[in-house]
Amino acid sequence: MPLYKEGSIAPIAADDQLAPLPLADWLKAPTQAVMLANTDVLDPLKNHMGRLKLIALQFPKYTDGRAYSQARLLRSRLGYRGELRATGDVLRDQLPFLLRCGFDSFESNQAGFGPALARARTLFSVVYQSSSDDRAPAALLRLKLRNATAEALAAD
Amino acid sequence: MPDTHFYRYDDYDRTLLSERVEQFRDQVRRRLAGELTEEQFKPLRLTNGLYLQLHAYMLRIAIPYGTLSSRQLRKLAEIARKYDRGYGHFTTRQNLQLNWIKLEDAPDAIAALAEVDMHAIQTSGNVIRNTTADHFAGAAADEIEDPRVWCEIIRQWSTLHPEFSFLPRKFKIAITGSPNDRAAVRVHDVGLRLWRNPEGQVGFEVIVGGGLGRTPIIGKTIREFLPKDELLAYLEAVLRVYNRYGRRDNIYKARIKILVHEIGVEKMREEVEAEFVQNKDTSLRLDPQTIEAISSQFAPPALSHRSAVVGAVEALKLENRDFALWLKSNTAPHRMAGYRIVTASLKPAGAPPGDASSAQMEGVADIADAYSQGEVRVSHEQNLVLPHVAVEDLPAVYAALERLGFAEANVGKITDIIACPGLDYCALANARSIPVAQSISNHFASLAKQHDIGDLKIKISGCINACGHHHVGHIGILGVDKNGVELYQISLGGDVDFGKTSLGDIIGPAVGADRVVEAVDALVATYLERRDEGERFVDTYRRLGVEPFKERVYATV
Amino acid sequence: MAKNLSGDLTVVSANRLSDGVVVFLDDSGHWTRKLELAALARDKRAGEVLLERGKAEAFSVIDPFLVAVSEDDDGTIEPLSLREKIRVAGLTFQVIASEAVRYA
Repeated sequence: MPLYKEGSIAPIAADDQLAPLPLADWLKAPTQAVMLANTDVLDPLKNHMGRLKLIALQFPKYTDGRAYSQARLLRSRLGYRGELRATGDVLRDQLPFLLRCGFDSFESNQAGFGPALARARTLFSVVYQSSSDDRAPAALLRLKLRNATAEALAAD
Repeated sequence: MPDTHFYRYDDYDRTLLSERVEQFRDQVRRRLAGELTEEQFKPLRLTNGLYLQLHAYMLRIAIPYGTLSSRQLRKLAEIARKYDRGYGHFTTRQNLQLNWIKLEDAPDAIAALAEVDMHAIQTSGNVIRNTTADHFAGAAADEIEDPRVWCEIIRQWSTLHPEFSFLPRKFKIAITGSPNDRAAVRVHDVGLRLWRNPEGQVGFEVIVGGGLGRTPIIGKTIREFLPKDELLAYLEAVLRVYNRYGRRDNIYKARIKILVHEIGVEKMREEVEAEFVQNKDTSLRLDPQTIEAISSQFAPPALSHRSAVVGAVEALKLENRDFALWLKSNTAPHRMAGYRIVTASLKPAGAPPGDASSAQMEGVADIADAYSQGEVRVSHEQNLVLPHVAVEDLPAVYAALERLGFAEANVGKITDIIACPGLDYCALANARSIPVAQSISNHFASLAKQHDIGDLKIKISGCINACGHHHVGHIGILGVDKNGVELYQISLGGDVDFGKTSLGDIIGPAVGADRVVEAVDALVATYLERRDEGERFVDTYRRLGVEPFKERVYATV
Repeated sequence: MAKNLSGDLTVVSANRLSDGVVVFLDDSGHWTRKLELAALARDKRAGEVLLERGKAEAFSVIDPFLVAVSEDDDGTIEPLSLREKIRVAGLTFQVIASEAVRYA
């Protein structure tokens, strides 16, 4: 399946050195890349965060959203910093959600996926909640604005 | 025009809405151009409130916490006139449904909504839906705190939540700020009840896993007391557990109530608390300033001192019996003496429950401007509410509502029927609901008779999905299809009053459409004969059990 | 009026993509709002063929499906199920008019 990353509109070549193994196989001989089913628990990976360079998460159907929670837990709780790939039924209209949950590579057969990825971060300039990207939610920006206004008034 | 006394959108909110409109416009364009299949497009249109029904698309517009300004209500009227057939249907979840929207027009209709800070985001689909609240919030005499502050906090947090936009199934939250629950919190995926603990702090009781539908279950408390600033940390924990472990193999077993039922409330609590511990003290904790900034926007209107006893009102009560009945059934105590909360009944005799024409919506908006601080509420019982009416204005409000056909003195009575759209509109329905409601309404049209019967809630659903909440009707009516014939199953004893939430019991074989009125009449006659002094229908039923009612209904078969 | 109620008679229906209105597949493979112009399949096999044709012509409609109909002596066709009758004939009650402030 064509593989996309931000920065390139055309599909990119996958790194053959990083072929993800299903979790059961990977556990027998941990490598740098693992593929999780969306029902897999994350605990076994806990002590391998430094070693792992690629974790692939699956969307058997694009309406099955379990991998979003896995992604958030990997990024925000286990501190995973390597590549996080969405595979399976991955469609361009999921991109704003996928990016916010910390995915940074995408396998998709959908036409127009590359150009859509290039624009995905521009669709929403406001977000309402913190997630596993570094975007500040509206509530936080309002708070800063209020504090800055209060400081400016105090300085007057 | 009076200023609003609820959350006012700022540039952040408006930017997000307009970006969402443009995203949807592009998605519609791609669908019409054939770039998206229906299967790919359906979840996208659903999370923008667009359903496909039997004859057309339906747009479900969110009315967050059931609160509308007169300006917003006028815009809804205008949108209904311009993009639909000039009427709309207020639903049991504080939404407005327009039944004849064209897909090609939907982005423009949604853009028009955004002009008055309204939207249809997440009114359908497997997402966190519009959070509902007590329709008397901010006005009720029995209120501890205004629940709408928390609904707004949840609205923002849940809107386009990246992790929870593809849940196993829909997710509905309701909040009440009064001991007398008017938001049906025990029959929601998550119900939140604000209460004051013995230490004097106000927090939430968290109830999870309630719901009606195919498998009606009363929600269970998983947290007795949650500090208010931990609300989002806790909800995020509940949603994460649900998103990860909720069933996805069977659509009928995918709601959180089934998860709670299957793993048990203890295990559910354990999972949620384990997750919550990790979320606590993160950025999910609500900053006091953020809470304050939102709370202050819900500050009640400054109501001038008005007289609680008005000679003209007392005189009219004696002169006009319908007005006297209306005062009793359609007005409720306001937190301030000299004011009442008025319910405009969208259930005139023989009308489709919850429907209003564009002209009627504008009429209600005018009354709100003149007499209710420019504010209107939508109740889950499919009526409109004027929350701040001075006692001395009651005769004028009554007269104005009468001109609109919305002054029927029947709130809480047998003709204040909740009904889903049923087979006339809905692609899921098995039987019609509205014509059944109409025939019951016509049969019991006499106000004197209705007031003699007293409080009696009839709720009608056209299929097992229970949009008409039949499980919690004092009399519940469920339409079923038997070999192409509409039949109606009758249940008794449902209720949603707090502490007494109960599900009705089916009394026997379903009856034909032509026998529903007769059956209801038999139930009422049994009650009238057997009731004790001051006893409501549902209490008589609880005391006597099903037998005498059942016997009477089936005696004539 | 003898009606053919065997359930073997079918037409293909769908909702139009652009506005959701109810349409039927006619003999030339176009979608029409008029049931009387719908192509009629007289047995199960013909129904399957007709549905396949509908699906092949589904660019401008949503989810074509078979509707069982009856046929009068004079050739008038009518859906058998109440659901499909309502889809053809519309609501079974009177809605309020846009500018009306009261129900009739």
